[in-house]
Amino acid sequence: MTADDMIRVCPLSQLDRGDAMRLDTRPPIALFHTEEGELFAIDDTCTHQDASLTDGYVEGCEVECPLHASKFDLRTGMVDAPPAKLPVRVHAVEIHDGDIYVKESDEVPNLPPGITIDGHA
Amino acid sequence: MTTSTDSTEKLASQGSGATKISESLIATLPGSTYVEEAVFRAEQERIFEQMWFCAIRSSDLDKAGAWRTVQIGRESVLISRTRKGEIRAFYNICRHRGVKLCMEEQGEAARNFQCPYHAWTYDFEGKLIAAPNLTKMPDIDRDTYGLAKVHLREYLGYVWVCLADEPPSFEEDVMGAIEERLGDVHKIDGYDVANLSLGRRIRYDVKANWKLIIENFMECYHCATIHPELTEVLPEFADGLAAQYFVGHGAEFGENIKGFTIDGSEGLDQLPGVAEDQDRRYYAITIKPTVFVNLVPDHVIIHRMFPLATDRTIVECDWLYLPSVVESGKDVSASVELFHRVNQQDFDACERCQPAMGSKIYAKGGVLVPSEHHIGAFHEWVMERVGEFVPESSHGTRTEVR
Repeated sequence: MTADDMIRVCPLSQLDRGDAMRLDTRPPIALFHTEEGELFAIDDTCTHQDASLTDGYVEGCEVECPLHASKFDLRTGMVDAPPAKLPVRVHAVEIHDGDIYVKESDEVPNLPPGITIDGHA
Repeated sequence: MTTSTDSTEKLASQGSGATKISESLIATLPGSTYVEEAVFRAEQERIFEQMWFCAIRSSDLDKAGAWRTVQIGRESVLISRTRKGEIRAFYNICRHRGVKLCMEEQGEAARNFQCPYHAWTYDFEGKLIAAPNLTKMPDIDRDTYGLAKVHLREYLGYVWVCLADEPPSFEEDVMGAIEERLGDVHKIDGYDVANLSLGRRIRYDVKANWKLIIENFMECYHCATIHPELTEVLPEFADGLAAQYFVGHGAEFGENIKGFTIDGSEGLDQLPGVAEDQDRRYYAITIKPTVFVNLVPDHVIIHRMFPLATDRTIVECDWLYLPSVVESGKDVSASVELFHRVNQQDFDACERCQPAMGSKIYAKGGVLVPSEHHIGAFHEWVMERVGEFVPESSHGTRTEVR
């Protein structure tokens, strides 16, 4: 059984190790399947400037923003490397019957200047 | 003639359109062809930006993300290796506002190519993968606004690129030039050029028009005068007939010459595929517009030209040996020194010609003697492409003032 407020994303088999996908939530969520086989979900938008972390580079438990190389810890959302200062939110990921589910965090997101949960201010 | 050349050998095409001045003489191109900006501009547009252009050695890109930039005509081209190990070529221009992406001649990108202006970011396949606010602009197609691709072929271990929308036939233009010179394109196979290793590379910044360098390479009338060391190794060059004067002819080493070296001493390990009739011979090939190939039994020398202005051409010269020779650290200096000296002697001569190209005395050009007449075919080829930009007043032959 899954909680009602969980988002069913797709079968795990559709997201290979090393791949990432962006969920069209408000704001969007980046879902990563690491080379090591772990699943992580964090806010997709870098807190420094509007860029998609789904397009970033994952190494270990860290994603590097493709624009200015800020790094975020996939487990905690904390900034590991600037120029970003504020953390991204972390969302719970679960597998049920071979499907990936994400539970959106209810914290307030740290969005970059000029960006709201619906896009540009 | 007192040469070892077989008199039945086929002669290279002499060209037919060159103005005949007398029994012995045909005209060169007019001097303006080497100095006029309009002519150079037309050559950029109709020759360098249209033909297959030899850009870099494939092994110059030793890992994913390694890149080189080369100037081809008026365009800067960015060549790099993908994560899959393949080579790609792009116009070196950000699709957003036109910034030149890579300013240096070589480098290594860790993850991507990123424009330093607005951070438009491209992966090694050229696809636009990130940009500020990109996800809010879903109408920006990541392939359409990816880096503009350039046609590419790998041959003889080099990356050849073509900026034409519809590239000409590589087989006809590039491989055809080898066929034309050697009589059979497969005669180069035994040298296994693609798998040789770079033993030495020397770059020459030559203050001369690229055509002077080609003309110089094609003839050997100058050899006995300016190339004493080369003529010592290849005595038949003293009669002024270049290997390129014939089809399939390799100039034979002198009797006491052990190898293609500055002092005729022993060369390096022989390339195993070199045929018996290719042993102890030097072959030279011009692949228009900018490549010279030199074949000897133990190494291959390749010149790539990068014409930058009417009076400036960069020449990169590679000396290629068996991988085992390069890996073992064997001393190749006596081997390199021979053609390095030939290069310096040739380029000095070209630089000495260049200032006179604008002289009124050379307005209608100079003359070619019989052993140079095959250069006429090159001149015809140039004129077919850019002749309309050569000022009318300079056509025809110069009248002697008495």
